[in-house]
Amino acid sequence: MNAPVSPDALRRQPTDWKGDAMRKRIASRYASERRFRRIGLAAILMSAGFLAYLMISMLSGGLGGFTRTEIAVRVDFPKAPIVIDPASLRGEGAEAVLSSVNWQALTDQAATSALGKDGAWIAPGAWLVVRDAVKADPAILQKSVTLHLPASAELDVAAKSEGQPAAEAAYARLEKAGLTSRAINWDFLTSSDGTDPTQVGIWGAFKGSLLTMAVTLLLSFPVGVLAALYLEEYAPRNRWTDMIEVSINNLAAVPSIIFGLLGLAVFLNVLHLPRSAALVGGLTLALMTMPVIVIAGRNAIKAVPPSIRDAALGIGASPIQVVFHHVLPLALPGIMTGTIIGMARALGETAPLLMIGMRAFIASPPGGITDPATVLPVQIFLWSDEVSKGFVEKTSAAIIVLLLFLLSMNSIAIYLRNKFERRW
Amino acid sequence: MSQPTPPKMSARNVNVYYGEKQAIQNVSIDVDTDNVTAFIGPSGCGKSTFLRTLNRMNDTVASARVEGEITLDGENIYSSGMDVVQLRARVGMVFQKPNPFPKSIYDNIAYGPRIHGLASAKADLDVIVESSLRRAGLWDEVKDRLKDSGTALSGGQQQRLCIGRAIAVEPEVILMDEPCSALDPIATAKIEELIHELRGRYAIVIVTHNMQQAARVSQRTAFFHLGTLVEYGSTSEIFTNPREDRTKDYITGRYG
Repeated sequence: MNAPVSPDALRRQPTDWKGDAMRKRIASRYASERRFRRIGLAAILMSAGFLAYLMISMLSGGLGGFTRTEIAVRVDFPKAPIVIDPASLRGEGAEAVLSSVNWQALTDQAATSALGKDGAWIAPGAWLVVRDAVKADPAILQKSVTLHLPASAELDVAAKSEGQPAAEAAYARLEKAGLTSRAINWDFLTSSDGTDPTQVGIWGAFKGSLLTMAVTLLLSFPVGVLAALYLEEYAPRNRWTDMIEVSINNLAAVPSIIFGLLGLAVFLNVLHLPRSAALVGGLTLALMTMPVIVIAGRNAIKAVPPSIRDAALGIGASPIQVVFHHVLPLALPGIMTGTIIGMARALGETAPLLMIGMRAFIASPPGGITDPATVLPVQIFLWSDEVSKGFVEKTSAAIIVLLLFLLSMNSIAIYLRNKFERRW
Repeated sequence: MSQPTPPKMSARNVNVYYGEKQAIQNVSIDVDTDNVTAFIGPSGCGKSTFLRTLNRMNDTVASARVEGEITLDGENIYSSGMDVVQLRARVGMVFQKPNPFPKSIYDNIAYGPRIHGLASAKADLDVIVESSLRRAGLWDEVKDRLKDSGTALSGGQQQRLCIGRAIAVEPEVILMDEPCSALDPIATAKIEELIHELRGRYAIVIVTHNMQQAARVSQRTAFFHLGTLVEYGSTSEIFTNPREDRTKDYITGRYG
């Protein structure tokens, strides 16, 4: 104790709860509360605004990518320079017969005779439509039919937005003649990368993403969960486990391109795994995702009340029974949250995949995890780099596909998480 | 005088340390099936710590170290030959805070028998669940909602569920660590009644803060103070005619 205080100083005045000072304090407290609420609301509105802007600009720019402009062209098969017996297309050797025909020349000729010099505005891949029409119904070989052939990228751009003057003029002519139409471009959903924007599709990259994510999930989820369980439930607390903990926390913050270099050095150069493959991409992304799952998993396991562990131990459950019957089920929702975050990040990752060669031009969808593949974000990156104006809306369309992929992946995960969530 | 039955559990010269700190000093005590044994003492006196050495729950605390000998039916429970998992099934435990599993009432009771393989068929398990809930005095309240979550019950019901869960594996000893401290007086009365009914079938050790409760439910009482066992004897003697001054001061409310 210091010097004794006089008894007068110790005697306190009764608090004036109704005074002006107190009233002012209350008013300022309410004001700060209101201010805080408004700032929070503004933050929400701002982020919602950004999101809305993103969605609107993506949809307005990208939805066009799912459609294509078509030109009606009359193809007079009996006069065409081809000789096919329609009967031969119904048997075994149909494919061979079809591939022996020069469809390109036939299509060009038909377009020129029907449209004059505007016949040059059909897409380079338009002959595929002619071939498929014949394949679907060989009887048309004896007739003259009108086929809707895809327009070239330049004309497509002119039809949808601002194109080059020549293309705009041609489109105006064709539209006036009532030959143009808009149709859903199913090829965009079923084919892969290509050189001509009218022919490219997203399926190859989509399947590549699917396979890569499958590899990532199958590796990082069990390894991450088991690592988290071991570190929380079994590992002794000592300098080694401290070091491992710090390393894992740091690993979660390492820039993703470093993981790409690691994948390049280890999986390709040392283990000689196939280049550009979903397997290697998945392995690399699993390295990146695992620390996120470990950290989220450890927090979820820590949050399981110790009383549940006591209860299980108290009736003679072995440590492994405690973990798998009680701790893991209760921690699973938290672990799944971490997994969603990690997988969403992995799905959008581009940089590390560039390092392991997944930026290659892949014109056919991968058949398995060891085939050359690319993934959606890399495909978006590649298309955004293209010169041709037709790729602009393809890029936006690919972004829409990527976002839908992400949304459906997260929805499944959230559904599963809610299913496992226990009510207390 | 008739030959006394050998004690179910006995502790000899037990010391417990948490790191450097000694929590229990040289405690020797016998527990038998015919009597309910109460551990009383002020907070921090080590009664709960000592209780937890009896089924080796202190093993889960990394810094805890136990010296001395504790036997169950003459077998040292800290010997290397003793299986901890089996020990904890034979020496069940009920905790201070009711801690049912977040599973159905049925699964709460059935969990122990399942993991120890006590029932092979569903019908056997049904019998175990019903008899355990009956003995825990809970059957009539929950028989129509066995599928409901155990955590949806009231606090007192939860605690009886936990007792039912402990007796479902047919233990030999039941340790209760302040089982009523989180309950209201009516729920407490029900638990005390239950303890009376379970006496004789299981050796029961109960830690309590409440001296009236110790006087009501137990036949033998041990008074702990500062990590030592001050006095151990029949409950009536401890409460009416304690030998030690410290015991007398505590039970008359001088400190605690």
